[in-house]
Amino acid sequence: MKPIIQTEALTKVYGANGTAVHALRGIDFTVSRGEFVALIGPSGSGKSTLMAILGCLDLPTAGTYTLDGHQVQGLAGGELARIRNEKVGFVFQSYNLLPKASIARNVELPMLYAGVGRKERRERAMALLEKVGIADKADKLPGTLSGGQRQRVAVARALANEPALLLADEPTGALDSKTGAEVLDLFRELHQQGNTLLLVTHDPSIAAQAQRRVEIRDGLIAVTEGVA
Amino acid sequence: MIASGAFRERLFGAWVEIRENLGRSVLQALGVLLGVASVLGGFSISDSQRKRSDELYVKLGGLDKLNVQPRAAIKDGQPTALQQANLGLRDADATGGEALKADAIQGVSRQRNARSRVVSAYADQDRQISGIGGDFIPANGYGIAQGRGFSNTEMETGAPVVVLGTEAANTFFPKGDALGQSIRIGDVPVTVIGTFEERVFRFRENQGNQFWWRNRIIAVPANLVQRRMNGDAYRRVDRVTFRIPDLNLMSGFADQLQNLLKSNHRLQDDFRLDDVAARVRKRRSQGDVYNIIFMLSGVLALVGGGIVNVNIQMASLKERVREVGVKMAIGASGREIFKGFMTEALLLTALGGFAGLVLGVGFSWIITSSIGIPLYMTPASFVWAYGLAGVFGFVFALYPAWKASRLSPMEALRYE
Ligand SMILES: Nc1ncnc2c1ncn2[C@@H]1O[C@H](COP(=O)(O)OP(=O)(O)OP(=O)(O)O)[C@@H](O)[C@H]1O
Ligand SMILES: [Mg+2]
Repeated sequence: MKPIIQTEALTKVYGANGTAVHALRGIDFTVSRGEFVALIGPSGSGKSTLMAILGCLDLPTAGTYTLDGHQVQGLAGGELARIRNEKVGFVFQSYNLLPKASIARNVELPMLYAGVGRKERRERAMALLEKVGIADKADKLPGTLSGGQRQRVAVARALANEPALLLADEPTGALDSKTGAEVLDLFRELHQQGNTLLLVTHDPSIAAQAQRRVEIRDGLIAVTEGVA
Repeated sequence: MIASGAFRERLFGAWVEIRENLGRSVLQALGVLLGVASVLGGFSISDSQRKRSDELYVKLGGLDKLNVQPRAAIKDGQPTALQQANLGLRDADATGGEALKADAIQGVSRQRNARSRVVSAYADQDRQISGIGGDFIPANGYGIAQGRGFSNTEMETGAPVVVLGTEAANTFFPKGDALGQSIRIGDVPVTVIGTFEERVFRFRENQGNQFWWRNRIIAVPANLVQRRMNGDAYRRVDRVTFRIPDLNLMSGFADQLQNLLKSNHRLQDDFRLDDVAARVRKRRSQGDVYNIIFMLSGVLALVGGGIVNVNIQMASLKERVREVGVKMAIGASGREIFKGFMTEALLLTALGGFAGLVLGVGFSWIITSSIGIPLYMTPASFVWAYGLAGVFGFVFALYPAWKASRLSPMEALRYE
């Protein structure tokens, strides 16, 4: 199957010569359409750095990255923004909702940037909130929701433009185990519906639910287990 | 873009941002508010003054006048030695002047004054007598209240007839029956054929009547004064007024007249030209200087406010780095972020500017009503005040908005 993610010799160096941190040191990594991959590894190993590059939030120092057929390295800021908007849905550990915008507006925002009309935006946002089970909170502000509910909003927002790739960096990290499990169920459901999912976690029981586990150590892929 | 309502959304977002940070927003709007109020207030106050003085000149009979007066003073009704040696301002000067531009000149009026004892059945006073000719009455903003003005024949023959100002009429005929009565000016008996309308003008409401002395006028034909009261062989006059409705021709005519009179007066500058329109123009250009000062103080307020705004924006940007990062992560381009910040700043400017207009109107109203002149505001003042605020609001919003748009999404998301 045609890969969604394909990287070759991806490296990322933070800082200049003396204090340079080699966060990624040559990642060759492929994710196919419809896969559910868990990214594991010790703290500081480079998981978030890799996620940022895969999500087009940052550019690699060297190497190539092709996302859903688009060459990413060397793109300008505006083009990266468009790819982020159209191809990637991000879910963060700390939710990263806009506190002053209503739940519905938070979900609508990616569609606004994509130029979707007002009415359609509203309808799709409501459908997505329905899907993640919090349509009744549409007009509330994020601050009034529980952590699990906020993460559901974040998932709905990530799905807004029907992205080719869902990236979740420790999405259950800030949740208690029960709500964490519920959010994970949501991700599994999304995977079953055909979404491509890449999830960073420290929790082995969560990683166990993925089709494939990729471990990163010191900026390199150490072990891959599960079917590719 | 329009279809997706992006602008509307930005506006809404900006409004939420302003509302959520009311204290900061008010502070930011303050500079705009003061700048707009200062420009609008300054312009309006000087417009009101100007309008009032325009009204004064209309009441004085219009701007299209060139007055010529002898330069040296007359002592005790007698010409000074200098003027005796020369010829002084004469009837001939009026005639000669008129000949220079006969088609452009609409009216020439000569004035010859005298000081004389005036006696009626009720009063006996030493008064100034105005011998008038030509279109003196309309040219100086007088109007006839009762009776009539002088006929051409009366003017030419110097008939013994008089028109009285309201004060003079009341003094010499307190019962109000002046018309048709006779008074004696010096030893000349004259008949009252009319009275003037009362002249009233107060630049400020609470001032006295600045035209009160015009009501003291005792007007007779200039020829009567020259022949029987204060005449001389040269037919000297105390004032000649030329009316030229086409103001473009005025200064050319003034130059020609200057040359003519000088050569007629043995090259002596014993006369003085007063181009009323030019005088008013000069006063106006002094008013323009005030406008520039007002505009400058407004601009200074706007620049000061703008600098404060840049600082506040940069400080608040620190709190909002994460927000910018989130927006970028979900697909906002730098351009979109830039537009968002600009919309906020411009909305703030628009609101602050509007408040400034309201304040400026109030401010102008308080000042003009405390001076006691009617408030007069022009659309141009509003446009200037609001436009300047818009320009400065825009310029000072650029830097913070640009800074925000240049944040890297990754760094912004990691920002604590
Ligand atoms: N912006 C940055 N500037 C400098 N160094 C950075 C930056 N971001 C990450 N690093 C460094 O790169 C390395 C990898 O960091 P990264 O955040 O990718 O680790 P991680 O695997 O996500 O860790 P964790 O499990 O704690 O989230 C670390 O040494 C980190 O200190
Ligand atoms: Mg991390």
